[in-house]
Amino acid sequence: MVNDKELFQKGLKDGIAIGLSYIPAAMAISIAATRQNFPFGIWELMSALLYSTSALAAILNLLSNGATAFLIYILTFSIMNFRHVLFSLSLSQKLDSKIGVFGRILFAPFNTDEIYSIVMQQPGKVKSSYLLGISIIPYLGQVVGVTAGFLFTQSLPESLKSAMGITLYAVFLALIVPPMRKSVQVLIAVVLAGIISWALECIPAVKASLPAGAPMIICTLLTCTLGAIFMPVNSEDEELEEEMKKSNM
Amino acid sequence: MDSKFLLILSLVLFGISCLMRMIPLIFCKGKIKSKFLNSFLYYIPFAVMTSIVIPEVFNSTSSVVSAVSGVVLAVVLGLLGQNMLVIALSSTALVFIIENFILHLFN
Repeated sequence: MVNDKELFQKGLKDGIAIGLSYIPAAMAISIAATRQNFPFGIWELMSALLYSTSALAAILNLLSNGATAFLIYILTFSIMNFRHVLFSLSLSQKLDSKIGVFGRILFAPFNTDEIYSIVMQQPGKVKSSYLLGISIIPYLGQVVGVTAGFLFTQSLPESLKSAMGITLYAVFLALIVPPMRKSVQVLIAVVLAGIISWALECIPAVKASLPAGAPMIICTLLTCTLGAIFMPVNSEDEELEEEMKKSNM
Repeated sequence: MDSKFLLILSLVLFGISCLMRMIPLIFCKGKIKSKFLNSFLYYIPFAVMTSIVIPEVFNSTSSVVSAVSGVVLAVVLGLLGQNMLVIALSSTALVFIIENFILHLFN
């Protein structure tokens, strides 16, 4: 039986790679954010609270489009984060029954895509000491990256800042393209979403009838519905379960 | 955008994010079995990100030529498996070079 200290150390160790991988992403999003001229404190707080590169990027995009309706931000953010409901659902079976409501509340904000997938790969039930260990370094990585990115942009000349209009979109492309290479279904979904989004925003009559931020929500719902009907995928959980059955874990 | 709006926005979104992650973690014991729902959720991030990029990216810089070049470079580097920071910086640098040096040659 492994004790709590060892589990905590194992968690810390598993968190190192995740934390390192967060630094460049956080720097990139922070560089993109300087276009908005955020005060340092506000941006630091926003990124510390939201703790998700893709959600932050979606919010930045809405801000740069000048969306002022709270509902659009809430809808976009909820759609963006909906997968965490699913993660939490499957994670709830994985946690040690000794972890009470308070512990679960405390861990919830740290349950990112990457941490979730590492925790799910652990054999057996997962204890609180391991969760504590794995939560720390990735979060520090995010904070360090955001701060470094912000400070970096302060020293840049104005002429370079105007070229940074593309930075946010390059961040998104960096998130979209690698999975496209691995999965034809993702490739088709991306092309489909591109066509729908183009149609919603470039056909004048359609664009004029929609409020800021609405094309994104419509495009997402339409693409995902078509994708789920015509290209259903097995969830990662099922694959993981099958692997676990094979290895008798 | 004023600081007060951003502050309230951050707090509200943080609250939503916590609720979405906590409620299933505390109360739910079941798994989502529906293949439709699982597939739908799987495509969400890609659909959202694509709809953010297209068509706005082509108007994100001072010329369509530099924007298209930036996109092409980002896609190629993504296909080559480069990390996000490399992609973001290279793409920005290319746009800068094209706008400040190359396009001036034609004006």
